[in-house]
Order: sequence, then C-alpha cells, then structure tokens
Amino acid sequence: MILHILNRAPGTSLVYRDALAGMGPEDRLLLIEDGVLGALPAQVRHFTPVLDRLFALREDLAARGLEGHCDATVQVVDVDGFVELTEEADKTVSWF
Amino acid sequence: MESQDAPRGDLLVILRHPPHGTSWLRDGLDAALVAAAFGQSVSLLFQGDGVLALHPGQGSGALGQKGTAATLEMLGMYDIEALFVDADALARLELAADALMLSAEPVDATRTAAMIAAHRLVLVF
Amino acid sequence: MRYALLVQGAPYSQQASHSALRFARAVVARGHTLSSVFFYHDGVYNAARLAAPPQDEPHLPDAWCELHAQHGTMLLVCIASALRRGLLDEREAARHGKSGHSLEPPFELTGLGQLIDLGQACDRLVTFSP
Repeated sequence: MILHILNRAPGTSLVYRDALAGMGPEDRLLLIEDGVLGALPAQVRHFTPVLDRLFALREDLAARGLEGHCDATVQVVDVDGFVELTEEADKTVSWF
Repeated sequence: MESQDAPRGDLLVILRHPPHGTSWLRDGLDAALVAAAFGQSVSLLFQGDGVLALHPGQGSGALGQKGTAATLEMLGMYDIEALFVDADALARLELAADALMLSAEPVDATRTAAMIAAHRLVLVF
Repeated sequence: MRYALLVQGAPYSQQASHSALRFARAVVARGHTLSSVFFYHDGVYNAARLAAPPQDEPHLPDAWCELHAQHGTMLLVCIASALRRGLLDEREAARHGKSGHSLEPPFELTGLGQLIDLGQACDRLVTFSP
C-alpha cells in the first residue's frame, strides 16, 4: 500500500486527476494544506474512485474553519495519524 | 494488477511541469541524473504538461535562460533509457508520440499505477 | 523507523515548511528517528541565516535548528539550488568573493547525491512541496 499525499484543491489544480491515476487498488490518499478543500461535501465527488481510502488532515481543516464540514466518507486524521499512515504504507508519493 | 510486467527500478521521477516556466523540470532531471550517476536504475515519466519537455524545437529562454532539451539528449549517456509519457496528456495537447524528440513509451493510468508500485522511491516534480 | 524529509517550498510563501516541521515533530514524538531534512528548489530559503520574521510569527529557520539540536537531525541544503538563490556559507562566500555569508551550521551545503542516499538509507522519505 502506498500513501499518496495531495496539497492542491481540485478547484485550482488538476493534479488530483494524475494522483488518482497513479493510485493502485489498495493505495490511500491523504489531503493536506489546500488539498483539504477536496474533503468538502461539494468537492468530494472528484475523489469518487477512492472514497473508501480518502483521508484529510485535521489541523489543516481546523485552520481553515472546515473541521466538522467534511463529507462523512472522509476519514479525518491529525498529524500523529499522518505519521501513522506513513508507517503503514510501503512508501509515500507527494503530488503538488 | 499488471505490476509483474511493469518497469521496475530504484527511482521513478515524475515530471509534471513544462520547460521554462519554472525550474521544476530541470530540478527533477537533475535528481534523475544524479541517481543514475550513483548507479541506480532510474525511470522517467513525463506526465501532464510535463510532456512538453519532449516536444522538438525548443530553444533558450529570455536572457539566455537555459532550457532542458540539451539535458534530455544526455539521458542515454547516463543509462537512463526507461522513458514513459502520459498518453492522455499527449492527446490533450494534440501531440503525437512518434513526433517527440526522444522515444518514450506512452502509458495509461493502469500502467502508471503499476510503475509507481514497482519503484522503490518515487519523486514528483 | 528511519525517516527523512524533502522540503521544496519557501518559508512564508508556502505552507510546505510549516507542514514539514509539524510532521517532523510528530515523527520524533512517535519514537522514530528523523535522520535528515533535505532542502531543494525554493526549500533552500529555510536555511536563510538572516531571516527576520515578525516576532508573532514562527521563526522557521530557528525551528529547524532546534530540531537539529534536540534530535540530531541533519539539515542538508542542495548546493546547486542554494548558490543560485544567494544562500552561501562562509566557505562559498569566500570562494565567490562575497562580503558576507547567508547560511551557517547546522545547515550544511551538500550535493543532490545526499538526497539519493537518503532515499536508499531511510525507511521513509516524505516530500513537502509548495
């Protein structure tokens, strides 16, 4: 399993499409920084193929006033959980 | 998964930025060249607008800003021969795979995912 | 586990440096070794000795130094990226005939080969880009 990390919002950059294309069936996707905008109910449809493997960083949501506004399918993790995701993955790939 | 027949290696460098606008392409190529000089097996994937790195006829930029075409021509000297290009991006830009300055194998999403899985380290630039 | 980070964003322009520092602290808090942070592209500005941010903002270069002091994390700066951007240690400043230096230990100028080494020697290399 590979952890893919995405820091761009789907509304400003199409890099999310290449990140999704690069994901294997077990891989996970973590949204950080502006990437957390993708976790909003109105945006999460962009991540339909990986909804069961989609994570967002709590601190970056909170800083933007978006904690508690995520789609219910998104698994919210704090930075400790971020490290844990990297422990569980064979490697990480950061898309920007 | 087709990961069995996916190109394997130590390092996969994914180049997503076109030449001249930023130094990402040059910096990514530098990382690939150094890894190859260290004896690692390196693959390059030109993805998104990064496929323009392979477009023929590039020159230098304003004030003599160095491009990346000359570096690309040196890849063979560094034994970097595993070159791949995002087929969707070529189609989006209406570029033909057989008209690129270097020969690169067009890949789809499935193969891209398999390649990412089959390299020990993946760096995106 | 042994971790290394690759930081490619300039401090105060992008969130990458903040994200990387926050992650770095969490890595060591979970008992891992953070062996090195490699600064590449605009990430080299994290090493600016003369950075003087307002007092109510985090001092990122100092925060990296603190990480080095407390955990022995090596702070490696790509020399090719750094020289182009005016980040020179005393030796490079003298070599290029400059009157002052803008980078000093614990930040170290080094080649890109170190990044490749880290990718090989560490269990995880996590990248923070702008």
